[in-house]
Amino acid sequence: MRSLIPGRVAASTARHLFLIAVAVAFVFPLVWIVISSFTPSAELTSDPLGVLPDSATLEHYRTVITELGFLTNLRNSVLISLASTAITIVLATLAAHGVVRFFPRVGRRLTRILIATYMFPPILLAVPYATIMIKLNLVNTYTSLILAYLSFTLPYAIWMLVGFYQTVPLEIEESAAVDGAGKLRIFARISTPIVAPGIAATAVYTFINCFNEFLYALLFISSTEKMPVAVALYSITGAEVLDWGAMMAASALVVVPSVLFFMSIQKYIAGGLTEGAGK
Amino acid sequence: MSSITVNRPPAPTDPSPRRRTVTGLWRRLARADKVGVAFVLPSMVAVIGLLIYPVLSSVYYSLTDQNLLRRDHEIVWLDNFRTLITNADFWSAFGTSIRWTAGSIAGQLLLGLLLALCLDKVRRFSGLYRVLLIVPWAFPPIIIGFGWQWILDDVYGFLPNLLTALGITTENVSPLADPATVFWAVLGINIWFGAPLFMVNILAALKTIPKEQFEAALMDGANAWQQFSFITLRHIRNVIGLLVILRIIWVFNNFELLFLLTGGGPGNLTTTLPIFAYRTGWGLHQLGMASAITVLLLVFLLLMARIAFAALNYWEREDS
Repeated sequence: MRSLIPGRVAASTARHLFLIAVAVAFVFPLVWIVISSFTPSAELTSDPLGVLPDSATLEHYRTVITELGFLTNLRNSVLISLASTAITIVLATLAAHGVVRFFPRVGRRLTRILIATYMFPPILLAVPYATIMIKLNLVNTYTSLILAYLSFTLPYAIWMLVGFYQTVPLEIEESAAVDGAGKLRIFARISTPIVAPGIAATAVYTFINCFNEFLYALLFISSTEKMPVAVALYSITGAEVLDWGAMMAASALVVVPSVLFFMSIQKYIAGGLTEGAGK
Repeated sequence: MSSITVNRPPAPTDPSPRRRTVTGLWRRLARADKVGVAFVLPSMVAVIGLLIYPVLSSVYYSLTDQNLLRRDHEIVWLDNFRTLITNADFWSAFGTSIRWTAGSIAGQLLLGLLLALCLDKVRRFSGLYRVLLIVPWAFPPIIIGFGWQWILDDVYGFLPNLLTALGITTENVSPLADPATVFWAVLGINIWFGAPLFMVNILAALKTIPKEQFEAALMDGANAWQQFSFITLRHIRNVIGLLVILRIIWVFNNFELLFLLTGGGPGNLTTTLPIFAYRTGWGLHQLGMASAITVLLLVFLLLMARIAFAALNYWEREDS
């Protein structure tokens, strides 16, 4: 009934038009990357405004995989990101459970502690990291990146996981303790299974961030065989002739999974900072 | 640092945050449950080794003439800082950083707030809008660079060709290479990238406002603007404040976005402090000088955060 009032209809229509316009603008780069990646090179240059190619092609994907060695770089990225994620999750679940059960006051101040770690510029950390990597002979190794990535994955993962571990009822742990379960056993067998979905979301998020990281990979890896995807893609822009089709195919291969992963943890992106702000 | 943020479920907050000294912390640790310490110790060691130690080490390097290609260095005390404050390129990068951060955050906040307010009101398609509107957030920096360079390419790019076809421009523009437009182009791209984060978090805060308050205000004859400023804004200002602080830090510290979009160019028009530090340290091999730049960057951020938190604390006291 309320929507029959003309003013409300106008306001509602205006809202929808605004949301549609912004949504189209926001999604356009993704759509354009995917379209371009299937468009033959000749059409990319002859008809820059052509929306749908006359004949879709997989030539760009072939170029990326066979000529640019994209699969090697993809394997590097996956290995580095998996290792970082595994270490992050093991350390962060222990720390989060520890903070919630043994240092609850620290847990309440964690948002501000997180912001403090956020303040250290990656470019500032990069200088000492670079000298340490040279001294320890870690330049051009996966280890250099796995270590450097912990600097941003660990604080964030602990912060997220403390939120999840705080939802575990104390009574469940207490009754397990009465039954004679040790503290490590309570952590591994009681609390952690309860927050498993939260751990999965944290892991996906950590993985995406490692996969997307650029600065440290640029600084510590110079050999093409060891490069993760982001830096390998950057290095091909130095080529004399830019093959836009191949670049878009490579981009699509990176961004489409990233968008899908991101949507899979969408549920956990909601909620949020609301409580951290002291309301 | 990460380009995306994910939030966690609600947690109780400490109503009276008190300052605690480092020695106090150690004393508490010594008194604390040994098993509890064992749980948090690995992470503490990692954080100290990966964050605290490097920061101290950077401060030390900033006082030396450390070169990327040499192992030894000499202590030059404040020479690096003295050189920097008389260096026009440093001040130019500092100014660019401030304009880039202020413009980006203002735009992201405004667009994110508008989107959240609209999404909060619409019922149909709200789930679909939300999914589409968070897409930019999922873009890795390298793809932001590639994608927008391709769309804005002056020969084959969609947008310059579209503008020409529509008769808005007589010949194809080159937004990322033209000194007159480059700043606005990168600003627009950063707003596209960052607005979804503001939108999602503000929307979550809007959902927590008790609806009765609006009904009561309506009874009292409050108009739409009064409802917005007295109820809505008051409820979400803490979230907005925290978001603004977090994103200012992030944008100010961010290296990748501009490096991958413009490389800091044309000339040094989009060279922010992180890019200036990168060029000094890895282009000119002057790691000591690069450290001095990053230390000044950190000091500036710490000062800003101090001021920002004073404002947040004031609001919190006012609310309680």
